[in-house]
Amino acid sequence: MKASDFLYHRPESVPQVLGLLRDYAGGARILAGGQSLMPMMNLRLWRPAALIDIGRIPDLERLEQKGDVTILGPRFPYWRIENDRVIAERLPLLARMVRKVGDRQVRNRGTIGGSLVQADPTGEMPLGTLILGATIHAESIRGRRAIPVEQYFLGSYATAIEPDEMLVAVEYPRHPAYFSFAEVNRRHNDFAVVSVAVAGDRAADGTWHNLRIGLGGVDETPVLALAAMRRGEGTLLQAPDIAQMGILAAEHIDPPDDFRASADYRRHLTRVHLTRVLGSMLASAGFREE
Amino acid sequence: MTVVHKTVMESGTAIGQALARKEDDRLLRGGGLYVDDACALRQFAMAVARCPFPHARIRHLDVRAAAALPGVVHILTGTEVQCLTNPITVLRPVPGAPMLPYYALAQEYALHEGHAVVSIVAQSRAVAEDAIELLEIDYEPLPHVTDMTRVLDPDAPVLHPQIMTSNLMASKTDYSGNPRAKLAEAALVDYDRFFVNRVAPLSMEPRGVLASWRSGARELDFRSSTQVPHLVRKQLAEALRLDEGAIRVVASDVGGAYGMKLGLFPEELLAAVHAMHLGHPVKWIEDRMEYFRASTHGRESFHDMTIGTDDQGRILAIINEYTNDIGAWNSPFGSSQLSSVTFTGPYHVPDAQVCRHVVLSNKTPIGAYRGYGQPEVNFAREVLLDRVARKLDISPLDIRRRNLLRPEDLPWRTPSGAVYDNGDYLRPLEMLAGATDYEAHFDRPRRPRADGRIVGIGLSSFVERTGYASARFLARRGSHFGAHESVTLRANRSGGIDLYTGVSTCGQGNETAFAQICAAVTGVHYDAIRVHAGDTAQSPLNTGAFASRTLIAAAGALKQAGDAFRDKTLRIAAMVLQISPEDLSIAKGLVHSVREPDRTITLVDVFNRAITGQGIPEGLEPGLETTAHFEPPEASFSFGSAAAVVAVDPETGDFDIERFVFVHDCGVAVNPLLVEGQVRGALVQGLGAALSEELRYDRETGQLINGSMMDYFALTCSDVPKIELMHTEIPSDVTTFGVRGVGEVGTIPPAAAVANALCDALRDYGVAFSALPLTPETVWRALQNVRNKGETP
Repeated sequence: MKASDFLYHRPESVPQVLGLLRDYAGGARILAGGQSLMPMMNLRLWRPAALIDIGRIPDLERLEQKGDVTILGPRFPYWRIENDRVIAERLPLLARMVRKVGDRQVRNRGTIGGSLVQADPTGEMPLGTLILGATIHAESIRGRRAIPVEQYFLGSYATAIEPDEMLVAVEYPRHPAYFSFAEVNRRHNDFAVVSVAVAGDRAADGTWHNLRIGLGGVDETPVLALAAMRRGEGTLLQAPDIAQMGILAAEHIDPPDDFRASADYRRHLTRVHLTRVLGSMLASAGFREE
Repeated sequence: MTVVHKTVMESGTAIGQALARKEDDRLLRGGGLYVDDACALRQFAMAVARCPFPHARIRHLDVRAAAALPGVVHILTGTEVQCLTNPITVLRPVPGAPMLPYYALAQEYALHEGHAVVSIVAQSRAVAEDAIELLEIDYEPLPHVTDMTRVLDPDAPVLHPQIMTSNLMASKTDYSGNPRAKLAEAALVDYDRFFVNRVAPLSMEPRGVLASWRSGARELDFRSSTQVPHLVRKQLAEALRLDEGAIRVVASDVGGAYGMKLGLFPEELLAAVHAMHLGHPVKWIEDRMEYFRASTHGRESFHDMTIGTDDQGRILAIINEYTNDIGAWNSPFGSSQLSSVTFTGPYHVPDAQVCRHVVLSNKTPIGAYRGYGQPEVNFAREVLLDRVARKLDISPLDIRRRNLLRPEDLPWRTPSGAVYDNGDYLRPLEMLAGATDYEAHFDRPRRPRADGRIVGIGLSSFVERTGYASARFLARRGSHFGAHESVTLRANRSGGIDLYTGVSTCGQGNETAFAQICAAVTGVHYDAIRVHAGDTAQSPLNTGAFASRTLIAAAGALKQAGDAFRDKTLRIAAMVLQISPEDLSIAKGLVHSVREPDRTITLVDVFNRAITGQGIPEGLEPGLETTAHFEPPEASFSFGSAAAVVAVDPETGDFDIERFVFVHDCGVAVNPLLVEGQVRGALVQGLGAALSEELRYDRETGQLINGSMMDYFALTCSDVPKIELMHTEIPSDVTTFGVRGVGEVGTIPPAAAVANALCDALRDYGVAFSALPLTPETVWRALQNVRNKGETP
């Protein structure tokens, strides 16, 4: 379990990173917290020709507030998502979900950018970012572009980021007023068997709007449960609504069948936990389930 | 519990005190000396190429490209290993089984994924791993069998066709009375097949070795992470065709062993061969990917268990026929045998029969693992006993009350010939019933709580065989080691004792326990006793740290050596003080008169006299050093009962263990902290195997599909339920100081306690469990099966 040979660079600025990325033409990887990258390299599953360590570049851990919008730098660490008061107020779903990421050691080093580039289909930050409808900003020598999160995850450990691009910022729009989250693990903070997150706003008449329902561990990428979202949008989320949303969500996924759980069981858990999570979101809005 | 630091020890008071462990100061400060902490000048690193297939013929092997890589210094293949070494011997062969020629590298055929094929030594581990990728190995995949229920099928490939005609290694039946006739009389006979999962012993420190060959002196210095340094030396001498005198094995701190590190492994032998060839030290440190494929696994078996009772639930007969799948080879120690010894458990069953089959499959070899057959059979028996109770409408508590052996039944001989020593098996069960308020708990209806969960309680009673009953017993079973332990006590000029033992320090607290007993016997202060453990060049020949046997045997050796040491100390002091030795005592670094405490001589003075031979009684040999070898006359049995309280979500099958209560007796506790540490550690391993651990092989490809720490679900500290411990302390009447072993007991009851609790919580559904591990999905499936049959309450 020793990595194969690679070159190591520690540039001082983002333009230098972009130059190196171009020079290696897809052969280089960016090193931030290293919590996913280093194990993959030590197992020799990934063999980058070079590592580009962005650890010394100033300003990549920034947290910007622009009206309702919150922007995180690529090296914004998990531990700050977990502990920062601004995050607790502005992105409470992420603060809640990050506690299910790895262990304390991983959270001390891992970063939001690293997690989104890794794109683990069971990952908490990818799912949370999807639910919150964020925009991913990527930059290369060719220029800068904004990728809506719905178009960002392309497959298991695959994203829309091109080999010469660097993820430079994650932009979160206004956070919905209510949210809830549940995750099933085989053991404490293991990869999710199934994770379910919901968020939405409630109008004065009690109807729910901007509903977002996301599922992790049930497909190649984190997914939005679109049919269930449509079914719930504008309703009071009464018991029959919720029951049907659970069924719809379970019908529209293609969960893996592996030693963590069977596809059947993941489908079942998705239905049960979506109904429970919706129930707890309702409860957080002052409603009690009948 | 109070931890006593630096207590001033009075003679005879050290046994039973919760002294802080001698080992902890260095271990907690990062000052332990594990194999990888030891470095030799100009050492090389070794890596091993392993077969990726479960069964393959090596058609062609070309190492030239690997050998040409800069930094590579030596390569070994199966051919060279066959010339340079003998097959690795087995310390505890399966009685009646053929001897398999287990070479350190595969000979033409590789028999499991992970089977070592080539070993490479280079300037660094990274270079050695680079070289592995340059090997050209042409494998011809062959049909394989990994399912233990299929290995004896007519179309199953035979793993060792040169030696055997099937994959059956051996079968052995033991019985007492007439169990078949008793079953015919029984009011109720219940039967099931129980599957026990293949698990990883998971030591924190992986295996490792640093081998150095001093060619001028013709001496092999061999640092190994092992629990049996003297036995590794024996096996090394046999495999390397060297005199034992040329080999020194040192095990300093060992980061957990659990039965897995019980003997010589192929990689260790390879490191020695490389080192002897190169004249340079060679280090091999196992990584976790190798660990899961090449360190021995534990447990895998299935048990066909039958219990017959009368209409009051009194057991009339137990018959257990079981199969141990030991993988592709004998492990260095041999596969588990204790299912045959303890299959009747703590119960009064005069008529019983057990039949054991040992079979081979294309998987990593199975070795000893904490419990060694006892957790396996306990799961089968205790789960089936609960089913019998339910069918007879007797509570699980009452059926155990009715069948537990009574003090007057002991000593009790089981069908295998083992003899349970004295004890009171009912007392832990009654304490457990009280602590859990069992009867009230059991009588409550099983309705969901406000959180939707249904609560249930399950029991599991057990015995643990600790230690071996004499070398005669072992000889009859063909074991290549004795039952004894040994110790040397040597006075030093500082007034203390250097204590030498071959028992290596694996985390069990041997240094603490040995020093406590030595202090109690000699009167020399605990802090003045330095334990030197695990070095074959220093310690007297011994057996090793396994089978919960260390203290059973070592307590006697410490007593004998300590008494002799004390006698000689007092004789010298008596001459100086002009007081008869009977009127002298040792405490606080002094020998003093019992009647006139002011008349004293320091131990420093006495020991210096002995060491120089100046000023000692006429005719007395100089020196103050005693050695004793003690052979225990019998094994001792620990016993007890455990309970789990679970809360199950019937919608998802998810469950929590809300209480786990464990009541047991390990005789006199030399140090309650060590007892607690051993029990808790073993319980975590037992719970892990019960709840989530399982090494899974893909049936199609024959490959291990979850062989990494990422995918193997060992419990983390956040997953372990709160554990409540209680003890009774009935001195064993067959051991020195009344101790019983305690090393493995915690692995035994958890699986059955949890399974029984789940069945109890879901009793209105009528679910049953007969396979491990017990995952939430298992529970959900059991509930789904019942629901699909339309039997939902």
